[in-house]
Amino acid sequence: MKYIEFINNLIKQEVSGAENLVLFGQNISAGSCLGGLTRDLSVSNNSEIINSTNTENSLCGFGFGLMMNGVSSVFFMKQLDFLLLGIDHLVNTFNVIRNTQFKNSEGIDLGSFTIFPITVDNGFQGPQSSLNNFADFCSIARIPGYTITNKIDAEKIISSKLISSGFRILSVSQRLFKEEIISPPELVYTNYDNSVFQYTQGNDVTIVCFNFSFPNGWNLYNDLKKLGMSVSLFNVNSTTPPVRTGGGIDWDKIISDINISKKLIVIDDSKSENIACDSLLQHIQDDLILKKKIVIKRFLEDDPEDSWVNPVSDIMIINSDKIYDELLD
Amino acid sequence: MTEKFNTKIAYDILRIRLGQIVINEEYKKGNFKIPIHLAFGHESIAVAISNIMENNDKLILSHRNIAYNLAREGSLKPIIDEYFLKPTGIMKGQFGSMNLINPSKGVVYSSSILGNNFSVAVGTAMAQKIMADDGVTLVLGGDGSIEEGSFHESLLMFKSLKLSGMIIIENNGWSMSTRIQERRAPLDLEKFLMSYNIKYEKLEGNDPYDYIKKLSNLRKNSLKTHEPVCIEVNVTTLGDWRMKTPELPDGKFINYHAGPTPSIDIKNWPNIIRENNEDPLFILKKYFEHSEFDEMLNEIKNEITKEIS
Repeated sequence: MKYIEFINNLIKQEVSGAENLVLFGQNISAGSCLGGLTRDLSVSNNSEIINSTNTENSLCGFGFGLMMNGVSSVFFMKQLDFLLLGIDHLVNTFNVIRNTQFKNSEGIDLGSFTIFPITVDNGFQGPQSSLNNFADFCSIARIPGYTITNKIDAEKIISSKLISSGFRILSVSQRLFKEEIISPPELVYTNYDNSVFQYTQGNDVTIVCFNFSFPNGWNLYNDLKKLGMSVSLFNVNSTTPPVRTGGGIDWDKIISDINISKKLIVIDDSKSENIACDSLLQHIQDDLILKKKIVIKRFLEDDPEDSWVNPVSDIMIINSDKIYDELLD
Repeated sequence: MTEKFNTKIAYDILRIRLGQIVINEEYKKGNFKIPIHLAFGHESIAVAISNIMENNDKLILSHRNIAYNLAREGSLKPIIDEYFLKPTGIMKGQFGSMNLINPSKGVVYSSSILGNNFSVAVGTAMAQKIMADDGVTLVLGGDGSIEEGSFHESLLMFKSLKLSGMIIIENNGWSMSTRIQERRAPLDLEKFLMSYNIKYEKLEGNDPYDYIKKLSNLRKNSLKTHEPVCIEVNVTTLGDWRMKTPELPDGKFINYHAGPTPSIDIKNWPNIIRENNEDPLFILKKYFEHSEFDEMLNEIKNEITKEIS
């Protein structure tokens, strides 16, 4: 099954039985239905599906207004860059509501509000394609945010977070829409809020993927396995999990694994400067001595023909043989 | 309207005026850590809005929300304690001034960001529609906020989604230190709203009884027709002063925006600040005998003094 079909089915399942739910966004039940993301949605009698106005900023405020009055909603958004227009609400409105919820809950019964943008990372998009780092949006107000990259994380994240009291952002990758969805055979581990997943366990090397680089990591894992290596594969789906004691990401499982393998490959396809994998690297610098550390990330090219500010193919390509040689070096 | 009702309204207005005078004095002494936007001159519209609200109505405010919060709460102490960030404040000292809410009195959201609150009001109105709670969402903005894109966006959403709502625009002619004519081309709000086919009403003169009558009818109509209405209210934010400098011995005009105003002093407990219809108390006084008005004033002074002592 294609990535987008699988996710669409999960969304349909979650929304169909929900009470007092508003699904909204531009063209969510018209035309291509956001490339299939929102195709054939149906809701109960006391819920609504709204093909909204082109008012992204106010649609964010609208969702928060519903949420603080006990009505749940999902705002489906065709492109992550549209969310730039709603940043005021992501910071200011969310923080006001968060203050109300955490400190003075009397009289307030929060609904669920999920913003569900598509990260446009399929290349040839020109200027907007430089904005593919989902964590940028989550970081500005420490908003819980989760990427969806494969069959297992899609099931876990959509079923637990799409409609659940409070606010979060979930995002899918446009470049994966027409790809067969990756179906890891097993889930070795996931943490308390599904922000970290482990799919394989091995002793030779640890691969940790960030943003939407899981398919790259999955391919690399398979290639290295064929070459006889035993590999642990992790994906970090959220760098801003809900506030908890100590805060931040739960790195423990990953750190323990690296302690065994002593060899680390980090893959982050984000194009902005402040990227999530740096947080892990900082922890590792503090805690571990590694035999090998390979960091695969993006650089803005000087050459306009290769620069993603132009409409070029900007898919991240990883040479598994070269990585294998480096690991043996 | 009965005499008893008229007197209650007068008490409410006087309580907000004198309450603000007390807050201004504390402010002048530097006793607050947070910024506060006083609203001398906004008392009539605040009391009128508070008065027409029914149980399920929701009020969404802006950064200059003091008059409305005082009107809804009905007493000074919980508000001033909130400004002092004390646990005895109406929101336990967690909200301060610009974002102050009071959910138990229907004040569900206040925003320190210009124009941010209009769309939250659309969502609130939509929630009321879904829950069929028979309430109206009222949202407050100023003449500066109608320059924001979110005002346009939210009007379009109110209208497109067929939502009841009252959008109240307090026009005091200023955005911080610039007059409307200094910062932008004229904007005819009535014509602007006509293009959306949204009902427009203008209120001016600061007569609270006139305001209550008109607003009450507009509320009923909005609820019945599932249509928003936009009300532009002319207000004068009192508290301006002249700053004398060697170059300007007659003083430079300073419009009141935020912080304490040096032009209002508690020593004489001034009630009327300006002897014309820009001052709600000047209008209010016309409805009462001189002695009756003074008696009400004294009563409120005693009440407030006792409350905060």
